[in-house]
Amino acid sequence: MPDLKLTNITKRFDKSVAVDDLSLSIEHGEFVCLLGPSGCGKTTTLRMIAGFETANSGTIELDGMDITRLPPQKRDIGLVFQSYALFPHKTAAENVGFGLKMRKLPRADIDSQVKKALELVRLGHVADRYPRQMSGGQQQRVALARALAIRPRLLLMDEPLSNLDAKLRDDMREEIRRIQKEVGITAIFVTHDQAEALALADRIAVMSEGRLMQIADPTSIYETPANATVDQFIGQVNALQGAITTVDGQSTQAGIAHVAIAGGRIISGLDRQIPVGTLVLAMVKHERVFLSRRQPVGENIFPCQVEGRTYLGASIVYHCNLGDQAMTAAVPNHPAFEQFQPGEAAFLHWASADCRIFRQ
Amino acid sequence: MKGMKVALSWIYLALIYLFILGPMFFVLAASFNTETSFPAAFEGVTLRWYARIWDHQEFLSSAWTSTLVALVSSAVAVLAAFLAAYAISRGNKRENAWLSATLAAPLLVPQVVMSLGMLQLASLAGMGTGFWWLVAVHAVHNIPFALRLTLTGFARFDFALEDAATSLGAGRWTAWREVTIPVLQSSIVAGFTFCFIMSFVNLPISLFLADTATTTLPVVMYSYIESRIDPMLAAVSAILFVLACAITLVLDNVFRIRLVD
Repeated sequence: MPDLKLTNITKRFDKSVAVDDLSLSIEHGEFVCLLGPSGCGKTTTLRMIAGFETANSGTIELDGMDITRLPPQKRDIGLVFQSYALFPHKTAAENVGFGLKMRKLPRADIDSQVKKALELVRLGHVADRYPRQMSGGQQQRVALARALAIRPRLLLMDEPLSNLDAKLRDDMREEIRRIQKEVGITAIFVTHDQAEALALADRIAVMSEGRLMQIADPTSIYETPANATVDQFIGQVNALQGAITTVDGQSTQAGIAHVAIAGGRIISGLDRQIPVGTLVLAMVKHERVFLSRRQPVGENIFPCQVEGRTYLGASIVYHCNLGDQAMTAAVPNHPAFEQFQPGEAAFLHWASADCRIFRQ
Repeated sequence: MKGMKVALSWIYLALIYLFILGPMFFVLAASFNTETSFPAAFEGVTLRWYARIWDHQEFLSSAWTSTLVALVSSAVAVLAAFLAAYAISRGNKRENAWLSATLAAPLLVPQVVMSLGMLQLASLAGMGTGFWWLVAVHAVHNIPFALRLTLTGFARFDFALEDAATSLGAGRWTAWREVTIPVLQSSIVAGFTFCFIMSFVNLPISLFLADTATTTLPVVMYSYIESRIDPMLAAVSAILFVLACAITLVLDNVFRIRLVD
């Protein structure tokens, strides 16, 4: 039985639709990331689950109980905020104990549970400090301990790592995943950072313009995106405009498609029916495009000129032109790979299996 | 060159303090002067004028009235301003501009005009003026000041704190009591103190709306100097000056609250 179930949720603000007919079902103990650009409705979705916003239509069920209209203080849902939202006039221990105090637990029980929660996040030693006396990372861990201390039925996190610097962010990411596993709680994590989502999630729900684009495990999201929006949002991708000329063997079955573009003809894998003549986008991730001086053998080989070069350390990104369209190749920074200078002639090539076709 | 700059800035600072506090020096000096007229050359030191205040019971009773009026009207003003500031800070932009403008309006109306209007309103309603009228008008006059101070507090307030409290099981009122009010405590106290002082020293409103039972200290002082000028009034002023300084210092050093931010 799913732990959390959203059914046909719609939320409007004045005239704009923030969340549009969203259905989502999350299993017990699962870690799900809501991923999307700002304004895609992910935070509104989170706030509806928490109870701060009420859906215009649709239902939210938690453990089989309809909570769509239940006020937030009665939901037993733990929340971690982007700004940490620690109470500045209370110590770490008082912050963590707040939810237990609201539940009118005896003093001794509160003390022992606060101690346990702070030890869970490895911060037993800061119990008597005020938030202003703690580092950002410590504050965020106290916030996590505070959310978990009430033994919530669900843990919601709203971009909890975006105020931390890069190194600390990676450590906290591991820490959050470890704690979530240890506690065995169902968690929803809102982020606009795809690397965060790929590293953390059991499943990623990609949202765009209030709609759920795809929900799947990180590998499927990255390697077999359901549509052009997901493909473009996750990773770096080339999108070539063209039209379907032939579908292999004239059959409409899955197989191979040929796409005419301005500079030639692309061969691509195709896993569903698209009629001949349809205007499409052929998508290839940057790191799946190769660049070589000698003409290789195989499919999808195009002569080009290297227009620009961006050095990224781990990889070097080359900007090329294919016909009148831009094509980018990310080449690992390793002696086994050829490197180029702007102005050089080269061949772009990629495997048809690494290419996906979506309607324009 | 740098020393010169530093010296000039100290001179500048000293001149400003002299300009602000210079007049108070004359009042303080006069309150201890044995000379009976005011102003006069300094003759010798006496505490006579301070002692004489005790012979004028109307000063003491009006000071008590002023305190009561200031306490109640400041409480009303701060409560109204806090609620308004909350709505303005949390609500939508367009309504807020309208709300802030309306609540700032008492600033633009001369106190004499406002008082005259209130006096007419009271007589239309067939009521005499008095304590509660005084409190009401002082409160209205103070709302814009209290609003500014509480809005400053809310500008730095993270409303996620309330959401956090609510998600942890606090109802709306509990969230206010446990989180919102304690976090904004310094703006509330600063607003209250500012209103209290504004109300305590107010003359124009009290002049129109006080009745014989509720005469405030500034009204008594004003009518006293209409008949004569002697250093006793300087003694009263000196006491008020010292009290105001004490309140400010205590707030700043003990409660870490700044009246001016």
